[in-house]
Amino acid sequence: MANILVLDDVLDATVLVGKILTKRGHTVHTFTEEEEALSFAAANTVDLAILDIKLKKMSGVEVLAELKKINAKMQAIMLTGYPTVETAREAINLGADEYCVKPIDRQELEDKVEKVLKSKAKKSQLTI
Amino acid sequence: MNSSDGQGRDRRYLLVFQQVTKMISLAHNPRQVMASIVENLPELLGIDACTIRLLDPDADQFVLGAAAGVSDTYLSRRDVDSAETMDMVSAGRPVAMENVATSPHDSFREAARREGIVSVLTLPISYQGRVTGIMRLLTRRRRVFAGDEIDFAHALAEQVGIAIANAAMFRQLEHQVNYLREVQTISKMVNSTLDLDAVLQTIVELLPRSLRAHGCTIRLLTPQSNKLVLAASFGLSREYLERGEVVDEENTIRALQGEPVAIADVASDERVLYHEHMGREGIKSLLAVPIKVNNEVIGIIRVLARERRLFSPAEISFAAAVAEVGGAAIKNAGTYRQITLLFNQIEEHEQFLGNILDCIRPQLLVIDNRGHVVMANKAFLEANGQREADVLGMAYNQLCRVEEGERGCPVAEVLATGEMAVVVQSQREEDGRHWYERSATPMLGADGEVEYVIEVIRDLTAQRRLEEEQAERSKLEGVIELAGTVAHEINSPLFAALGTAQLLESDLGDDEQVEDIRTIVRNLKAISELTAKMASMTGYRGKEYVGETRIVDLG
Repeated sequence: MANILVLDDVLDATVLVGKILTKRGHTVHTFTEEEEALSFAAANTVDLAILDIKLKKMSGVEVLAELKKINAKMQAIMLTGYPTVETAREAINLGADEYCVKPIDRQELEDKVEKVLKSKAKKSQLTI
Repeated sequence: MNSSDGQGRDRRYLLVFQQVTKMISLAHNPRQVMASIVENLPELLGIDACTIRLLDPDADQFVLGAAAGVSDTYLSRRDVDSAETMDMVSAGRPVAMENVATSPHDSFREAARREGIVSVLTLPISYQGRVTGIMRLLTRRRRVFAGDEIDFAHALAEQVGIAIANAAMFRQLEHQVNYLREVQTISKMVNSTLDLDAVLQTIVELLPRSLRAHGCTIRLLTPQSNKLVLAASFGLSREYLERGEVVDEENTIRALQGEPVAIADVASDERVLYHEHMGREGIKSLLAVPIKVNNEVIGIIRVLARERRLFSPAEISFAAAVAEVGGAAIKNAGTYRQITLLFNQIEEHEQFLGNILDCIRPQLLVIDNRGHVVMANKAFLEANGQREADVLGMAYNQLCRVEEGERGCPVAEVLATGEMAVVVQSQREEDGRHWYERSATPMLGADGEVEYVIEVIRDLTAQRRLEEEQAERSKLEGVIELAGTVAHEINSPLFAALGTAQLLESDLGDDEQVEDIRTIVRNLKAISELTAKMASMTGYRGKEYVGETRIVDLG
């Protein structure tokens, strides 16, 4: 099971993601403030970050860049209510594994998380 | 000498007198009179040669009129005789010289010796108490002229004088009539054209013909530098015409002062500078007359003769009259030339201005203060599909169409107020609605009143359409931004609501309330589909909603 960080400016959205993924046996840490999420990531091991693109002070893409600086192996799924070509391209370039459009279906979220975590496991095996 | 000898001589004198009278009565031409005398007198008087010379009052010289029995070399000597002889004969007294070898005048003595002349009787030819010429009777054998012989010859010379005067008068009258006709002809010809070169050429060709001379020149003073410039010539070689400046010649100076100058013998006259050139050209006599316009001398005409001759007062008057007629015609032709030049310049300027106006993209109209079009540029004619000839003079209100409810044409406003006026009009055309900005500006006359109105018509359609497109684009951008914002703002709470409902749905299991939760999930999904459409909008189409309200059609 994985340590998952969830960052969204809408509290209910973080709670929902937390509930869904906790049910799947993951350890989920939810945040609505960018600085808090970054501090957490710096102090703890995070396998996967689920980031909203539109945040309070920074953009999800900027937070992704900072998180990758902390832990380059950390995986990421970007969530956005308003997808644009620019943000999608930036996120992928920075190493995001998925780019999902809200409102994402529960099943779809679970599938994407599993898929991303599995790909990490594969990469780890290959590395070993 | 006995009386019978005297009677015989008297009879012979009478006979000669009768013959001379008869001879000269038949001749109406002074030259004929003189020729007849010199040819017949030697035989009648038993002498070897006879010459007649006429007084040229201008040069104060006796010029050869006719001669018989002597050579040209003798005739062309510089001085006729000694000053003493000439003074006496000029005073009206005959001078008899029995032996010229005793003459105090060297050149005459030498000329006479070479010619074989021994005795000379010089007689004054008088008319009305004035000496008008001299007649010389010459013998190659020494001869003593007796007193009665001298008296007879003197009387004969007087008769010759009367005959020459009468013939000259007759001829002068005849010439005057002819000259009057000639002046009329020349006047008619030079006034029939306004071409300056044609006027000048007519004069230089006709004047010498009328005066039985062979060449003619016209020199005109240039208005700017007052320099005398050859303007036309006839019957003269290029070499002669290019001999040099004539402005320093006395005859030219006098003619430019307004005085006609007639020179019977150019070879010996100091009023001429180019003796050699004239000799080579065969010119013997010259007549220079001023060309006057309103008493101002604008040039000179020179008539050149190849025979030595005295120009009569009638001939001089005739030449002066032609010069005067010519002066007026030259002036007219010159003025016409200037006007033509000016006119051409104006035409060029007008063409230039017209080209500029035709190159201007906006339509341009000029309207006079009576509301009639006086000018329209190419852009106007093309835009309105009209020809210039049809538009000029047209009433302006026929050209300015006003749609109902729009402000009138600006020209009427300018004419009423004297102030500039601008009107924007729109009209329906084949390719849709067009907008025009019509700005009218007054052109004021010297009295401060509006003389013309200049109207510039600019087609604002493209500009308007661009503005409309820009407005449309801004609107679209606004709609798309709004749609994006809405999608973003709705999607996060929608995600929370939908996800939570789905969790609830799975937690409820077979609870009877699960159907209600499914309804919530279904509708939340319907909303998510709409926000997905809004987020992907790149354009929009409106559709009617209720009443006049329209909404964006999301498909």
